[in-house]
Amino acid sequence: MSFKYRGYAGEIIRVDLTNNIVTKQPLDVKLAENFIGGAGFITKILWDEVSPETDPLSPENRLIFAVGPLCGTGWPVSCRFEVGAKSPLTGIYGDSSCCGHWGPELKFAGYDAIVFQGKASKPVYLWINDNSVRIMDAGDLWGKTTGETEEIIRRDLGDHRIQVASCGPAGENLVRYASIISQRRAAARCGLGAVMGSKNLKAVAVRGSKDVKTENPKEFYEFMKEIIEVYRNDFYILDRIKFGTPILVELMNEISRWPVKNFQTGVFPYAKEIGGERIRKEYRIKDRGGFGCWATCEKPVQVKNQPYAGIYAKQPEYETLSALGARLWIRDLDAIIYANELCDELGLDTISTGGTISWAMECYERGILTKEDTDGLELTWGNHEALLELIPKIAYRKGFGAILAEGSFRAAQKIGRGSEKYLMTVKKMEIAAQDGRAQKSMGLAHAVASRGADHLKAFPLVDELGREEPIKARFGEKYLPEMAQPLSPKYKAYEVKDGEELCALCDSLSLCKSSGTCLPLYTGQIYFEDMAKILKLATGMRVSGEELRRAGERIVNLQRAFNIREGLSKNDDTLPDRFTKIPAPEGAAKGHVVELEKMLDEYYGLRGWDQKTGLIPGKKLEELGLDYVAEELKRLGKIPF
Amino acid sequence: MSRKILYIDPLECTGCRNCEIACSYIKEGLMNPQKSRIRVVRIGATFDSPIVCRQCVNAPCAQSCPVEAIERRGRVWVVNTEKCIGCGICVQECPFGAIWLHPDNGTAIKCDQCGNCVRHCPPGKLRFIDPNDIAYERGMKHSMKLKELLEEKNEL
Ligand code: SF4
Ligand code: SF4
Repeated sequence: MSFKYRGYAGEIIRVDLTNNIVTKQPLDVKLAENFIGGAGFITKILWDEVSPETDPLSPENRLIFAVGPLCGTGWPVSCRFEVGAKSPLTGIYGDSSCCGHWGPELKFAGYDAIVFQGKASKPVYLWINDNSVRIMDAGDLWGKTTGETEEIIRRDLGDHRIQVASCGPAGENLVRYASIISQRRAAARCGLGAVMGSKNLKAVAVRGSKDVKTENPKEFYEFMKEIIEVYRNDFYILDRIKFGTPILVELMNEISRWPVKNFQTGVFPYAKEIGGERIRKEYRIKDRGGFGCWATCEKPVQVKNQPYAGIYAKQPEYETLSALGARLWIRDLDAIIYANELCDELGLDTISTGGTISWAMECYERGILTKEDTDGLELTWGNHEALLELIPKIAYRKGFGAILAEGSFRAAQKIGRGSEKYLMTVKKMEIAAQDGRAQKSMGLAHAVASRGADHLKAFPLVDELGREEPIKARFGEKYLPEMAQPLSPKYKAYEVKDGEELCALCDSLSLCKSSGTCLPLYTGQIYFEDMAKILKLATGMRVSGEELRRAGERIVNLQRAFNIREGLSKNDDTLPDRFTKIPAPEGAAKGHVVELEKMLDEYYGLRGWDQKTGLIPGKKLEELGLDYVAEELKRLGKIPF
Repeated sequence: MSRKILYIDPLECTGCRNCEIACSYIKEGLMNPQKSRIRVVRIGATFDSPIVCRQCVNAPCAQSCPVEAIERRGRVWVVNTEKCIGCGICVQECPFGAIWLHPDNGTAIKCDQCGNCVRHCPPGKLRFIDPNDIAYERGMKHSMKLKELLEEKNEL
C-alpha cells in the first residue's frame, strides 16, 4: 500500500476498546491535504466524532494519538506526537504535544494516527509491532508509575527499543489534569491522561522497522543541513541549548512576567536560586534530546543533599520552575526537582498542579481555606513540604487532594466562600507562567487559545525578547517599534493571529515549537515559505507558503468551531480581573494591565470573526473549505448575522 | 598501525540519534533506524551511547566469514556485498552487536567510517579517536584529580 504523498505512513489504527476490536483504515488524502497531520488530524476527527453531549470521561470521547508528515523523517526536532480528546479539565477542544522518541517509532511502525473509542472492561494497553496491533492485559501495570510502566513493558516484551506512552496513577484516578508521559517527556495539558484512565487504557507501546521515505531525499537532506547551521551559529539558540528552558527564569523575572504567588506579582526575589545558571552549575549531569533533536531540553540532574538526594531524568522546565517554584514562593530547588519527578511519575501536569495549589495557597493566605479544609496542612507560601504532600494526595484523590484533583475552577465552585475571586484560569484551565501584564501579546494569547489559558497556541515570541529582524521580515517596518515592545498592546493581535497559524502548523507537521521553529523563529529562519518548502521536499505536496498559512487558519477555525458548538463565545475569551483591572505592582511592568478589549476587537477583526459574539461568520468558514462546519453551526443557531 | 574508533562519552551523548539519521540518509537515502550503521541505546536516567563497529584488529566478523566477504580497506573493515551470502555468522560473532543484516536484501551492513554521523552530532562530541588517546585522556584526568588531592593534603 502506498500513499499519494511521501512522509506519511498512509494508515490509521482504530481501536474500539469496548468491543475489543482493532481495525486499520487508509489515511484519507483529503485529510492530509487539508489538515496536514498531528493536531490537524485531531481537530478534524474530534469535530466529526465528538458531540456537545459527550462527557470527556465517557466511553464516547475519542482519544487520538497523531503524528505529522515530518515525524520520523529526521528533520531537526520533528520528534513530536500530539494527543487529543475533549478535555476533562476544560470540557472543550483539548490537545497536547510531547517530544521524545515515541512519535517517530509510530511512523516506523507504519501509522499516522491511532484513534481510541469506548472503554475496556479491564485495564489494557495497546502493543503495536509493525503490522501486528494487539490489545494486551494491563492488570499488573495498573497502579504503576509512568517510569515503572515503561520498564515493565520493555522487559515483558523483551525489546529495549520499544517506545511507551503511558498515564500514571493520576490518570487512572481521573485527575482532571493528568498527563501522558513517554520517556519523561510529557503531553501534560488538558488532562488527557485522565481520558486514558477513563478508557482503562494504561499505555500505548510501539516498535517499528519500516522506512520513512521522502519525496526528494537529497534536497531534503541538504535543506536540513542548512537549518542545522542556524542552530550552530545563533548566539541565543546556543544559550538556549546550553541551559534549556530554565534560562528563561531570570529573563522572565527581569521583565516581571512571572506568576509569583498566584500572579499577585511578577517578581520573585529568589529567581537566581532556582534559575538556569544554578541548575547547570550545581545539578546538571548531561544533555538529552528526542529523536533528531538539536535543542536537548531534557537534562538529567543530580540532587546531592538529603532529603531529596537522587539522580533524576530531567531538570524541571521553565514552566515547572514557575508552577512548582515561584508561583508558590518556593525557593528550595532540591524540593522543586523532586516535586517535578513526582508529577512525572504519578502523571500530573506540573502547570495545573502548581496553578491549582497556588490558588489554594492564596485562599489559605486570605483565610478562605483553613487547616480544617486542608487535612491539617499549612498552605503557607513557600511551604515546599506541603507541596510534596499534596502531589500524591492529588494523584490518589486522598482527602483535600480529591478536591484539588478537580482543578482549581471546579474546586472553587465546590468550596465557594469567595474563593472564585482568586482563580487564575481561562476556560477552566490554569494559566501558564506568563503574566500578560508584562507581555501584552501573551495576555491576548491566553484569552483566545482554543485549549484554554495557554501560551503555546500562539506562542508570541517576536516581542518576548524584542527581536526586530523577524518582525521586519514578516510584517514590515511599519509595525516597529511597537510590535517588538512587550508592554505595548499595539499590533499584538497581528502577532497572535500569525503565531496561532504558525503553531497550528508546527503541531500538525510534528515540529517542536520550542526549538524546531521557535529557535530559528527568533532569527527569522523558519516561516510559512520555509515550511512549504520542507513539506514539498518531504511529501511532494505542492503548496505555497500562503496555502500553508491557510491550512493553519483552517485548523485554528475548526478548533474554534468545536468550542462554539460546545457553547463558547466571546464571553469565554477573557482573563481574570487580576490581569485586566489590577495594575502590576512592581517590576518592569509596574502599573500595567492587559488592555484585552482593545486587542480582542482587533484580533476578531483580523480573523474575520464577529466582534460582538466572537462567532465565526458562515462566509469565513466557507472560504476555508469548512462548508460542512458552517452548515452544522447554522443549524445550531451559532452563526452570527 | 593507525586505527581509529568512533567514540563518544555516554555522558556527552544526548541520545538524539542524529547520527542514525545522518547514516540512514547517506547510506540509504531514506530514514530507517533498522538500516543505520550506527544505533543509539538509551538506558535509565543518564546513559546514552551509540553502538557502532570498533574496527577490531583481529576482527571476529571478518575471521568468521565463510566467504571472506569482510575485507580490510585502509583502516576499516568493509563488507563486499558481491561476496556476502547473508548467512549472518558475522552478526553472531561480533562481540558488540555492531554489524547487522540489511532488512531488505539480507546482506551484512556495518560502519565504514564515512564520517557523516560525526558531522551531524549536535554536541559535536562523537569523533574518531585512537583508543590509546582515550587512555591518555583518562590517565590525565585521573592524574589531575590525584594532584588536587595531594595538594589538599598539603603533601606537595
Ligand atoms: S563488526 Fe564487530 S567484530 Fe567486526 S570489526 Fe566491527 S566491532 Fe569488530
Ligand atoms: S548524534 Fe551524537 S549525541 Fe546524538 S545520539 Fe549520536 S552520538 Fe549521541
